[in-house]
Amino acid sequence: MAETGRLSAPSLAPSWVREHPVTALRIFIIVTVLLAWEGLARSGWLYRDVVPSLVAIGHALYETLADPTFYVHLYATFYEIAIGMAIGGVAGLAVGILIGGSKLMQRAYEPFLYYLGPCPKIIFFPVMIMWFGVGPGSKIAMGAISCFFPVALNVAGGMREIDKVLIRVGRSFRANTWQMVTKIYMPAMRHPIINGLRLGLGVCLIGTLLAETKLSNRGIGFLVIQAYTLFNMPQMYSLLIVLFVIAIGANALIGRLGGLDSIRRS
Amino acid sequence: MTVVAMPSGRMPGAATAEPILTVDNIVKQFETPDGVLTAVDNVSLSVRPGEFFGVIGPSGCGKSTLFNIIGGLLDGYDGTVRVAGETVDGPHPSIGMIFQEESTFPWRSVIDNVAFPLEIAGLPKSERYDRARHFVSLVGLDGFERRFPAELSGGMRQRVSMARTLAAQPKIMLMDEPFAALDEQTRLLLGDKVLQIQQELKQTTLLITHNITEAVQLSDRIMVMTYRPGKVKRIVEIDLPRPRTSEIVSSEAFGRYVAQIWSDLREEATRGLVEDESRKLRGGAGAPP
Repeated sequence: MAETGRLSAPSLAPSWVREHPVTALRIFIIVTVLLAWEGLARSGWLYRDVVPSLVAIGHALYETLADPTFYVHLYATFYEIAIGMAIGGVAGLAVGILIGGSKLMQRAYEPFLYYLGPCPKIIFFPVMIMWFGVGPGSKIAMGAISCFFPVALNVAGGMREIDKVLIRVGRSFRANTWQMVTKIYMPAMRHPIINGLRLGLGVCLIGTLLAETKLSNRGIGFLVIQAYTLFNMPQMYSLLIVLFVIAIGANALIGRLGGLDSIRRS
Repeated sequence: MTVVAMPSGRMPGAATAEPILTVDNIVKQFETPDGVLTAVDNVSLSVRPGEFFGVIGPSGCGKSTLFNIIGGLLDGYDGTVRVAGETVDGPHPSIGMIFQEESTFPWRSVIDNVAFPLEIAGLPKSERYDRARHFVSLVGLDGFERRFPAELSGGMRQRVSMARTLAAQPKIMLMDEPFAALDEQTRLLLGDKVLQIQQELKQTTLLITHNITEAVQLSDRIMVMTYRPGKVKRIVEIDLPRPRTSEIVSSEAFGRYVAQIWSDLREEATRGLVEDESRKLRGGAGAPP
């Protein structure tokens, strides 16, 4: 046995499965979860509507998407996240470059980033409400704060990883500081930057939506909490599906940006 | 082909012309845990227009330190470096550097790599691409303009670096062991390329190397340096005919120069080896950066 301790595809499987084992496994798990869900919904073991049937969720999803006011909320959330990402991302990039670019700054400030980074940002929400009001301002602030830390940490680490000879090349051609940043540091750090943005996007979504569920009258987070209060479970699940799709789409978009110039040199 | 204007005043081989590069009494010391280390000790040299000047020495003779000082990337030394009459104080537009390490920008295509210094200098787009194409072609990389460094061999990437430095049209090009990472055959062939470019551009060049064959193959004069502290041991005139190719390595005169330089270097390299080993035995620090 060459492959002791490993599962191998049974030889009885149809040829399509043997040719696309990854896709087959993915379909398998999705179908299993959906079937289990539907089984649970129909079993009557739980309160009706805690686990609504797929049909009910599908219907609610259709109704949600057909409702024009949904798009007002979607736009509100999208707007908050976009602005939050832009502010937090640019600030994180700038701070990361400053901290990563100097040993002194690194020793002085990097511990703050490390300790504040994993701290749950929602504790700042009351402060943000006082500073920026109950409207989109406080949500944008939450998104920006959340996104700032992973970007700053990744960029600071990325600065130290830049091949030193590339910096010497830039200096030997007398690039000024701005040219060094835009033409050498940033492209050389494209992978850490993209990674930071990707992690930042995740926590920005969390920060913004969490803030929306706490205190707001607009946004997907608000719709979710409203559906929950009204105990409209199918609608709540349909909103969660929408959120999944948004998160996956945004992630794919950022990943695509990172792959633009090819990662050809190993 | 676009005609590229060359800085005037180059008189190849004119021994009487004003030197392009003058290095006077350079002393550079480093603080190490073992105390002060003198890397370069009172080195002076001058390079004439159109000349190919080789600097050779054992590892740890301060060659790379000298390279960085002349290139303006290292300060805190005594002595002066002057290029075309101006004192060097930081990177100078008349000096172009080619580094030992892999130094192409992996996110830029060949043409964009070569256009980099022109972009930094603020040349209009069409002009910088015209000029970059000329130098890509000069190093023999026609057809590779749109390729990325990862798609090229090590020797090709080093030619991209060379084209990039030449595109800035420096009065003097400094090379720090540019072929160190390449195999012997590629190295000889690239040496041919350098000779050919040298022939074409009359490019004044200072080459730093520890490879005797390479130094003799390319240089008009070779400065042999001592092991730590790095001093000038001897300056050897290489009186081999130009234009040269790598075929010259089999000539008798070539062999004599190699033997002569090796006898100078042998002492130094041996001393370096012994000192290095005893330092390792004591567990002390290695060479400074």
